[in-house]
This record gives sequence, structure tokens and C-alpha cells, in this order.
Amino acid sequence: MKYKALYAGVLFGLILLVLFSLGSGLWGGSADLHWTDQLFSGVCHQIPNRTFTFMGELMAVNTRCFGIFSGLLAGWILIPLLKDMISEKKWPLICLLFAGLLQIIDYSGNLFLLWENTNSSRFLLGLPLGILSSIVIADLFQST
Amino acid sequence: MEMEEVNQEQENSFSFSNYWPSIAIVGAIFSLVSFVIGLYFGYQQINSEPAGSFISPVMISSGVICLATAFAGMIAVWHYTKEVSPFMKLGQGALVGFLTGAAIIIFSTVLNELWLLIDPEYTEKLIEATIANVEAMDLPQDASNEMVDAMAQSMGDQSFFKQIFIGIPIPGLLNMATAMIGVKIFAKKKDEISF
Repeated sequence: MKYKALYAGVLFGLILLVLFSLGSGLWGGSADLHWTDQLFSGVCHQIPNRTFTFMGELMAVNTRCFGIFSGLLAGWILIPLLKDMISEKKWPLICLLFAGLLQIIDYSGNLFLLWENTNSSRFLLGLPLGILSSIVIADLFQST
Repeated sequence: MEMEEVNQEQENSFSFSNYWPSIAIVGAIFSLVSFVIGLYFGYQQINSEPAGSFISPVMISSGVICLATAFAGMIAVWHYTKEVSPFMKLGQGALVGFLTGAAIIIFSTVLNELWLLIDPEYTEKLIEATIANVEAMDLPQDASNEMVDAMAQSMGDQSFFKQIFIGIPIPGLLNMATAMIGVKIFAKKKDEISF
């Protein structure tokens, strides 16, 4: 496997990303705005009723973001197993584009009141986007 | 023969200064776009009646900005491979992505600070409009108070360096991810080049 240091570094970063996104339930409460909420405030709307709770406290990110972050980590963990399978294949990229398109369709459908998505549906749609974002580059870790 | 020499030169010419134009140009463009989008939706929020809807202009803008700026890393890699060298290793792409995310945060924080010179009451008006919208929601009093406090704190005055320190890690990591995808799509493979 190539780029082992990069792989380990990004793995560490993604583990922290998921742990931080669990929010104050994991990291302890705070009277003021929790630091994990501040950390994600620029990338996530953090609407309370669109957010899972963890250990009785709201997570720091909404369900879709949590799905994407969990998927990124899960996909990254799968890279050593998939790097040979993905080699030079186009399907991961096509699936990634489709997963991205699904987010836009789901977001727009909900925005224009065509349907109402739920926390579970948002999480389940975010998960494959994250997984595919990671495994689409799996072949770059393949040893020559 | 001449082409081979050019390619060899491109492979050997990696230096940190080669990245900066791509990082700075893409970072500046994306921060300007996200700043303008944020401003547009911000004033829309300020000038609208509180509807009590979760999907407010500010919420829409945060989703749009997040989605748009996450692709900056990929675009920076595209710019680098087009303008500097077609060869790029995965680690180099990751670095370009992270730094592009950081550049966006720094530029947009500067733009926000500059805007406060033009409209010093912008933040205050935005907080008031957002809180009015939350109070118009059909929420239990405790939840409403909690949400109002959290919004007032997150949107309130924060020091320039705190905004940058807290703002960089997550967009940096997300742009790193899209930049690595950019390496896969746009960069030519030359495994021999050293980082």
C-alpha cells in the first residue's frame, strides 16, 4: 500500500471529525455554546429537530452531515480492502456523482414541499455520499 | 526529446511556492462567492417577516455555502494541473485542498470584517431577525430559549483570530477530501515524483 502516512493521518482526522460531531454528549456539557457546535457552525445549519441526540444531548451536526462524516470514515477504513477492486474502474465515480445528485434532489424536494424527508432518510442518503467520496480514491493507494 | 525534457522539468519543479497561486486564486474566488451568498441571504433574512420556518434564508445559505466551498479543493487541484503541472501526488493534492479551505476561511473572515465597516449594524440586525424567526416557531419554551442563546452566541462578536482558529479545521478537512478526488480526476499519474 502506498502513502501509508497520508492514509494514517487522514484516518486520524476523520476519527476526530466523527468524534467531534457527536457533540457535547461525548465531550461534556457547557453553559455557553459548546466548542463542538462552534467548530461545525460554518459548515452545518445545526437545526435541533434535524439533529440526532447522543447521550441525551444534541449532536454538533445535523443528520445528513453526520451521515456524510460517518460515511467518509467508513469508506476510508475500507480503502485497504478495496484498493485493488477499484483499480481504474469508473463505477465509483459514477456512483459518487449519483449520490451527490440524490442529495440535491432530496434537499430540493423537501424545500419545495414535494415530500418531507426525515432524520433517518437524511442520514441514510448522506452515508453513501461519504463512503463513495472515500473509496473513489482507493486505487491511488494501490502499490504498483 | 524536447517534450520529454519539459515533462521531466515539470516533475522535478515541485516547490511549495508553485501551489500558492492555485490556493490563493481559488480561495479568493470561493470566499468571495460564499461571502456574497451569505450577504444576500443575510439581508433577505433581515428584511423578511419572521415566518417561524426552520428553512429560513440563513439556513439555506449555510447549506449552499457549505456545498459550494467544499469543492474548492477539487477546483484548486484542477487549476494547478492546468496551469502549473499535470502531475500531482495524492499528498500534494491533500495539502492543496487543506490550504484552500484555510484560505477561504481567512479571506471570508476578512471580507466579513470589512463589511462591518460599511454596515456596522449588520450582525446585530441579523441576530435579531434570526431570533425573531426562532421565536415565531412552534417550539417548547425551553427549546426555543436554548436555540436563541446558541444562535446569539454563534453569530455574535468573536475575535478575528478565534473565527479563523475555529473555522479552519473542518472546511480544511472537507476540501482535503475533495482535493484528493480532484487528484484522481485531473492529475496524471507519475508515481516516481518525490514529495
